[in-house]
Amino acid sequence: MSAAAGEPAADVPAAELVAVTKRFGPVLANDAIDLAVAKGEIHAVVGENGAGKSTLMSVLYGLHRPDSGHVRREGRRIRLRSPADAIAHGLGMVHQRFRLFPELTVAENVVIGAEPVRRGSVDRAAARRAVEELGERYGLRADPDARVGDLPVGVRQRVEILRALYRGAEVLILDEPTAVLTPGEAARLFEVLRSVTATGASVLLVTHKLSEVLAAGDRVTVLRRGRVTGRFDTARTTADELVRAMIGRSLATAAPPRGRGAPPRGPYALEVRDLSVRDRDGVARLSGVSFGVRPGEIVGLAGVAGSGQRELLDTVTGLRALGHGDSGEVLLGGAPVPRGRDPEVAYVPEDRHGRGTAAEMSLAENLLMGDQRRIRTARFGLSRAAVRARARDLVERFSISAASVDAPISALSGGNAQKAVLARELSRRTPVVVVEEPTQGVDVGAQERIHALLAEARDRGQAVLLQSSELPELRALCDRILVMYEGRVVAEFRGEDATDARLGEAMTGAAGAVR
Amino acid sequence: MSAAGSAAELGRRVVLSTPVPAVGGALVLTTLVMLAAGVDPALAYPALVRGAVADGNLEYTIAAFVPTLGMALAFALPLRAGEFNLGGDGQMAIGGVVAAAVALELPLPAGIAVALPLAAAALAGALVAGASAPLRTRLGLPAIVTTLLISAPAVSLASYLVRFPLAEQGTGMAQTPPLPESAHLPALAGSAYVTIGLPLVALLTAAWLYADTRTVLGYEIRATGQNREFARYGGVAVDRLAAITLTGGGAFAGLVGGLIVLGPPYRFVEGALTAPGYTFTAVAAVLLATGRPVAVPFTVALLTVLQAGGQGMEREAGVPGQLTQVVQGLIIVIVAVFATVRHLRARSGGREARA
Repeated sequence: MSAAAGEPAADVPAAELVAVTKRFGPVLANDAIDLAVAKGEIHAVVGENGAGKSTLMSVLYGLHRPDSGHVRREGRRIRLRSPADAIAHGLGMVHQRFRLFPELTVAENVVIGAEPVRRGSVDRAAARRAVEELGERYGLRADPDARVGDLPVGVRQRVEILRALYRGAEVLILDEPTAVLTPGEAARLFEVLRSVTATGASVLLVTHKLSEVLAAGDRVTVLRRGRVTGRFDTARTTADELVRAMIGRSLATAAPPRGRGAPPRGPYALEVRDLSVRDRDGVARLSGVSFGVRPGEIVGLAGVAGSGQRELLDTVTGLRALGHGDSGEVLLGGAPVPRGRDPEVAYVPEDRHGRGTAAEMSLAENLLMGDQRRIRTARFGLSRAAVRARARDLVERFSISAASVDAPISALSGGNAQKAVLARELSRRTPVVVVEEPTQGVDVGAQERIHALLAEARDRGQAVLLQSSELPELRALCDRILVMYEGRVVAEFRGEDATDARLGEAMTGAAGAVR
Repeated sequence: MSAAGSAAELGRRVVLSTPVPAVGGALVLTTLVMLAAGVDPALAYPALVRGAVADGNLEYTIAAFVPTLGMALAFALPLRAGEFNLGGDGQMAIGGVVAAAVALELPLPAGIAVALPLAAAALAGALVAGASAPLRTRLGLPAIVTTLLISAPAVSLASYLVRFPLAEQGTGMAQTPPLPESAHLPALAGSAYVTIGLPLVALLTAAWLYADTRTVLGYEIRATGQNREFARYGGVAVDRLAAITLTGGGAFAGLVGGLIVLGPPYRFVEGALTAPGYTFTAVAAVLLATGRPVAVPFTVALLTVLQAGGQGMEREAGVPGQLTQVVQGLIIVIVAVFATVRHLRARSGGREARA
């Protein structure tokens, strides 16, 4: 795929990775990978977790040096010792976690590191003009004087892109850019990327989401276990073909079936009644939220991030106590929840690293959390053999691939760590299960398994409350979907009636979508 | 893997574990300091070892090992839950003065004349440390700050009590009168300085080590220290654990104060508790053990030998005893460097793992 010497200049790739190999200890992260990005194209790089995508992009951005192979820019071999070198060669990167200064303005964030200087000090007027001009040219509107900390995530990402463009990036690398965006914001992002490539610049898009690849990409390179397993024109490929290249087989075509036939009737396992809560500054975060989840059903929770999901789920799981200015109640099996974390509510949190696991504790100890008092042997004692045996049992039953239950959980891949959290929470067979973003940062194969696990929990009669920003996930799994907007439940759909368009409309608070 | 291979691997892991390079690096640097100061290391090091273990010095070294190990528990217990107790001096001093007051003022029958002052000392130390707990859990003030700030006035209070209400009349010395014979800690057979404090502290250390790995409480403490939010999520009462471990650490420190006062010379002498620097030697030893509780008794022994040996070195080789403090300081700096490097590696490793 690399450009042969002597090709006409117009066909020289904007950037090219040639036979790049990179090892981390025993792990071969990139194995002789060739990748060429043409001028003016959106080139997607897809693959499961651990396929080597981020390593490859880090090589291109000067964060890692390859063990062998090299990088070419417009046909010329370049040496990248640091991101500064990469920037100097017209490469720009937008990281998954933004690297912005929340206290500074948009203009300040954009020019930082390359400030226009006038008479020895930063020329703010020039900075503001630069942001406006760039915004004009690429359709990337952002108020140059707004404080970045006040902006929604989608706009912050635009600031990152503006910064890369301001530094003269002609090849823009985006690492999982839509992971943090609402569907509307994602659509706007792709419009922006189109206008960027229209000027002759190129975009490298690292992503999990095949629908995005097919909709927005020109070409796609598929990685699997550090090697290229497919190169496609998006116009002439299908999701199934991409999946086969990614995981080496087809996915089971049918998503786990939604609730069979008639929706369950009877009393709620979990009921929220007229719940209103305020944050520490007295701002209302939830206003009169009421709903219930019955045994044997999955109820979805959709909404733009920050619409009150965090507060609602923290209250339901008991991590947030109701305080002054709060009202309403949460009932479990008809009785009010006790204070503090309720062992009757299993909970798979969105923040796997911050809340769901302790990175440096062993897999066995991570699998123990929440059950430590149940499996104690004597009054205080904790048998290490019992802890290990329990962990091995879960590893087996939930097919977690782990070298040892005694190794730190941080040694597991994202998908396996997530399966471990699910194993811990679902194996307790609690009446109520709260699940947040179960497949975020998880590869396609593991996603399938995770969805099956949630369906099994439902079929066992557990009441599942599922919060997700993946609308297809909600549509595939949920019997009912609630949409939150500004602290209220503004719409409720039956799973089979929900479409992305209708959900999206309700998520942005559009009138007419009221339940 | 062959036996030789696994032995080599084991050797590599031992060498790479922080204490070995930290101590090794500190000794190399100290040797350079000696050379620069014109001291012959070939004389100084043997003098150091002799000063610690030979010529009947071993007894003094063990006598210093006991309070240092106790103070190591005072620091390490809260540290496992992620709380820093740097107020050991104050907790120990109050513990000591309370033990002296109880032994002096209450006529106690022989059976409890030792036990009760020690229990009172532990309780007093626990209360001093416990004062930091609500500041931590209600107001969010870091324990590392509040324990240290409370320590200074606590030491001063102990000092006041010893100088005035409890002072020995007529001597003008800042010390209490000698404690009644019944309150003296029984010495171990054949020793003038080593008391039953040694088996007592050894027992407490063993209990702590057991609790850390084999009990629900130990598990919950470790989980809280590793990731507070994870523990809270798992239903652990993290605030209560912070309070329990801080108070428990204070109890250890108070007990150490009691052990010192009830040991030779059987009275509270102003400065005798805090001047030897047990608290910070213990902090260094625990940090050197890098979160491996089993290693704590060994690192405490190592640093105690260094300290005790320093005096021998001063006598014999004319090297200022402060040099051993240089060693100790260097060890802490090297440990800190290793910890930082490991942290940075873990962060970049995490990035690679997501690749």
